[in-house]
Amino acid sequence: MTDTEPASTASQTTTTTAGETDEEVRAEWTDYRFDGQAKLSVENLNVWYGDDHAIKDVSMDIPENSVTALIGPSGCGKSTFLRCLNRMNDRIKAARIDGSVELDGMEIYDSNANLVELRKRVGMVFQSPNPFPKSIRDNISYGPRKHGDINKGLLARLFGRDDTAEETELVERSLKQAALWDEVSDRLDDNALGLSGGQQQRLCIARALATDPEVILMDEPASALDPIATSKIEDLVTELAEDYTVVIVTHNMQQAARISDQTAVFLTGGELVEYDDTDKIFENPASQRVEDYVTGKFG
Amino acid sequence: MSDAYANENTLVSTESDVYDRGLDAVISLTVLGFALSMVALVDVVPLDASGSALGGFFLALLAVTVGGVGVAGLASWLNVVPVTSQRVRGIGLGLLVTSVGVTVLAYGLGVTLATLLGLVLVFEAAAVAAAGVVSRVGLVDTGPDMSAGLLAGGAFGVIGLAIGAALGGGLVGFQSLLWPVVSLATAGVLAVLAIVPREDLGSTLPAALVVGTLGVVIATSVLGPGWQWNPQTLSGGFTGGAVIPVFVLFSSVLAAWSAAKARAGFGAQGREYGAFLVINLNALLMLAVMATIVVFVTVKGIAYSVHGLSIGAVAAMVLLAPLFVGAVQFARSPAGPDEWHAGARQGLRVLPLAVVGAAGAFLVGVLALGEPVYYAFDYTVLENRVENQLRTAVAVTNETTVGSLLLVLAGFVLFVYFFRKYGTLRNVGTASDRLALVRQAVTMAVLAIAALTFVFLLVGPVPFGITPLWYAGLAVIDLGTVAALALAALPALGVLAGTREASLADSAQDSAPLFTLGVFGGLGLLTVTLFLQPVAQVAPSVGPVNLVTLVAMVATAAMLAAAALVAVAGRSADTRIQRRFLAEELRLALAGAAGFLTLVGLHVAVTGIPQFLLGLSVANAGTLSWPMVQQAYIPLGTAPGGIMPAIVGTVWLVVGATLFAVPLGLGAAVFLTEYAEQGRFTALVEVATNALWSTPSIVFGLFGAVFLIPRIGGDESLLAGMLVLGFMLLPLVLITSREAIKSVPDEYRDASAALGVSRWETIRSVVVPAAMPGVITGVILGVGRIAGETAPLILVLGSTLNATEAADVIGGFRFMAEPPFVANEALLSTSASLPTQVWAVIAAGVSGSPSMGWATAFILLMVVLTFYAVGIVARTYFRRKLNYE
Repeated sequence: MTDTEPASTASQTTTTTAGETDEEVRAEWTDYRFDGQAKLSVENLNVWYGDDHAIKDVSMDIPENSVTALIGPSGCGKSTFLRCLNRMNDRIKAARIDGSVELDGMEIYDSNANLVELRKRVGMVFQSPNPFPKSIRDNISYGPRKHGDINKGLLARLFGRDDTAEETELVERSLKQAALWDEVSDRLDDNALGLSGGQQQRLCIARALATDPEVILMDEPASALDPIATSKIEDLVTELAEDYTVVIVTHNMQQAARISDQTAVFLTGGELVEYDDTDKIFENPASQRVEDYVTGKFG
Repeated sequence: MSDAYANENTLVSTESDVYDRGLDAVISLTVLGFALSMVALVDVVPLDASGSALGGFFLALLAVTVGGVGVAGLASWLNVVPVTSQRVRGIGLGLLVTSVGVTVLAYGLGVTLATLLGLVLVFEAAAVAAAGVVSRVGLVDTGPDMSAGLLAGGAFGVIGLAIGAALGGGLVGFQSLLWPVVSLATAGVLAVLAIVPREDLGSTLPAALVVGTLGVVIATSVLGPGWQWNPQTLSGGFTGGAVIPVFVLFSSVLAAWSAAKARAGFGAQGREYGAFLVINLNALLMLAVMATIVVFVTVKGIAYSVHGLSIGAVAAMVLLAPLFVGAVQFARSPAGPDEWHAGARQGLRVLPLAVVGAAGAFLVGVLALGEPVYYAFDYTVLENRVENQLRTAVAVTNETTVGSLLLVLAGFVLFVYFFRKYGTLRNVGTASDRLALVRQAVTMAVLAIAALTFVFLLVGPVPFGITPLWYAGLAVIDLGTVAALALAALPALGVLAGTREASLADSAQDSAPLFTLGVFGGLGLLTVTLFLQPVAQVAPSVGPVNLVTLVAMVATAAMLAAAALVAVAGRSADTRIQRRFLAEELRLALAGAAGFLTLVGLHVAVTGIPQFLLGLSVANAGTLSWPMVQQAYIPLGTAPGGIMPAIVGTVWLVVGATLFAVPLGLGAAVFLTEYAEQGRFTALVEVATNALWSTPSIVFGLFGAVFLIPRIGGDESLLAGMLVLGFMLLPLVLITSREAIKSVPDEYRDASAALGVSRWETIRSVVVPAAMPGVITGVILGVGRIAGETAPLILVLGSTLNATEAADVIGGFRFMAEPPFVANEALLSTSASLPTQVWAVIAAGVSGSPSMGWATAFILLMVVLTFYAVGIVARTYFRRKLNYE
């Protein structure tokens, strides 16, 4: 891979409020430390789509049980970065990934990494709600059933391993966690496509929770929803952060400010420009470009 | 003039009702002319019919029009049915008026159909021209452009060339060099007439000229029914019978276009309406061709094919049961917005139920009467080139026997119907550990009995000379049936027992695990014991009735009792969710009843021993007697023969080909779409598939005859036919499956991958189910093609005109303990099939054969339509399952 690697990116010489270059700012935030253990630790991550260098040398540590927001203008690579965290980019043939991502100290890009286990531990919610054309119940239990955690059917019954009761419990727990139980408890066997957009998105969150993940990646989960549904999702994210590590991509800066504990700002070109506590990013960013972006002068 | 602005006074200044209504009538007349020429083209009424023969037909047509379009038009005009478009109403009413007019003309004038069509054209031409002139002189308010346009001019030019050539040829003869001049001149006049004047004249006068000329030529019999022209340069010729309808079709479209433009006031609106009408008539033509073929074949074949049809009243009731259930569902479906005409629409929904009910009452009447009811009629058969009158009758008899296959068919349809909506109940699980144990035991028992059956199948009922094993079989059957009876009784007993502590509704709800256990356990257990019986060669009975059948009958009654209990409980349900739950229980119990009834039929079908109970009986030789369908073919003669072997052959061919092609095609499609890298290889496969699909069928036949047959059995055989048809079906299944899989949204794949589910699991449980409707559409199209395929079958199946036995594929299986373990003589023997039968009968050209051919073709059409129906039901099922409906 090294021989095809493009020449190192030309360093930009934009100065900051304090007269520092981006390089210096970056050196500063690389030192950003938080109390406790890093759940996800990204080192020198680079992604190319063909010749397009989508993510440039990004390093960041994501703390446990918190909400980390990724913000930045369209095309800055924040979704690509998110999809690297559970190796969803493996599905794109043109993508080439270089660098290291560690989950609890274990390298997920290791050639021996177990993708099933990784994605069970790192769940994902997509931009537009994408429930399967199945019943609400089947949507929730789909993952655990395919992983063999829940057994149903003739053989399971024959071996006395029928998990119908566990399934019912799991469906109820997941839907309650996703704050959807009250709305759908009497129609679990209806097709999920009959739900409203906001309900569908919460169903997708419930579906991701059903595999009992540790990290939940959310790719603009509220961008296709109306304000009321959005606020429900936001409340949910805040609640989830008590038990899960949430990484959320958003276009909406108010949303990032409202729900996240720390914020990473990607700017055009796939660079991580600044990463710090959310309050600091929105009130006193180190980089001039970040200040321009969060105050709406740019991007 | 246009309805869109009807209420805007500023936009529509002059009201001219005469102009609008008149043009509506003209448009209706063109539609009528169009339909009549279709009728004449397929010889339903000959062109030279006149007087009362013609009038009688028109009267019938008028009745149809009044019944269909007339009622709709009238209802719309009276505002009963909310058809808001004034034009649709106008045309509906116009059709009514013009039909009356044409009928009166046919009686009053006593002219032939050809003349009448000519007169209609002349009238249309005059009306269209009048509309143009009226618009041009400003008597009505229209918005024409300055010209009809170059396109219209060009089109009229081309029409003029043709008409001018014909006119020139007729006037001066084709020997003279003058006729091209006449042709060119006509073309020029028409083109100029279309382009130069304002649009209102430009799009009416040339059309009127063309339509009028053709009308006069036809009406004056210059071009009459007996007209014929055989050019020396052509081996064929033209006859009036073909040319006149075609001219009238064409003129009707032209006149409709022109009248529609005028009706909408020319200009942009006019072009819109004109184009709309022309393409609409195109679609109508499509429909008409399809309807014509079906009607034509039916008219020609039905009398011969129902010769001697009779059915017992009880058997007819069994046949009616699925229809009854369907009619009930239709009647229960919501009738739309609650307006004052909602009652009328609700009435319409109850209509099928009323019809089925009346039929049922009639059957009860037949039983009460104690005598068969006949409907006798005569029909014509061509025998030795002489038309021969045959007399036959269709009958409903007072017999109380039901055919086993009929019972299986109706029972199975009902079972599937009631079973399909069982959703919530699937997840009730088992209420107690004891019940879970029973459930497990039943499942084990079912599998064990199935295994035992298989052992007996391989080594015979008295294996290795050990008689005790035979007794073991008997004991298993005894125990199994008793257990099945106990299970079947569980739901009803459980509900009743529960009422001591809770209300009926609550008790019924709490008994849900008993319902699932009773229905599935009972059905499963009884099914395997049923099949064990003939294999183990034991048939325990209670009195004259076989034990299994008796249990199935009692179980049916128990299920019906449970259903009745739940239905009563449903009335006192408190919550919506409880009502829904009980409704599902009811359906499950009814499914159970239908299932047990199916087993009764199945048992008789498998063992062949008739069963009697309470005056009713089930037997293999049922009371449905349909000689054409049930009998093997008897040499051609006055009395119709039967084509049962051919029907069976075609059904097996289609089933075999589908079983062969669908898994292969679907598998290949999954690989090519989901796994293979899109590139040269997939492109190559795509080209190969398309080439395979367009390969002539006779080439497949030759391949089968020369390549396949020497390798399987060495002789023409059913299996070779299945494989060849399978090869033909394969590319279509592949192409449509690929498209269907491609159209499954990528979001599903992403979502599944993000849950850590492997690609294969994703394909199996998300992608393929979502693609199923598309796959089934492909299979439906393919089956339609291969069911009627003749050429390859002649080569690989053998064309057996005198087949007297149907291919017994199921009974042909032989199992043995040494390799190859299974053999099937029927698959390796030659068989008849419907298309080859039609071909053979017509090619044989013996007495009575044309009638036989038509009847066979009619039955082939019915078989194909049945396959279509099955496919469409399957597709609808999957669509419903996928989309929220």
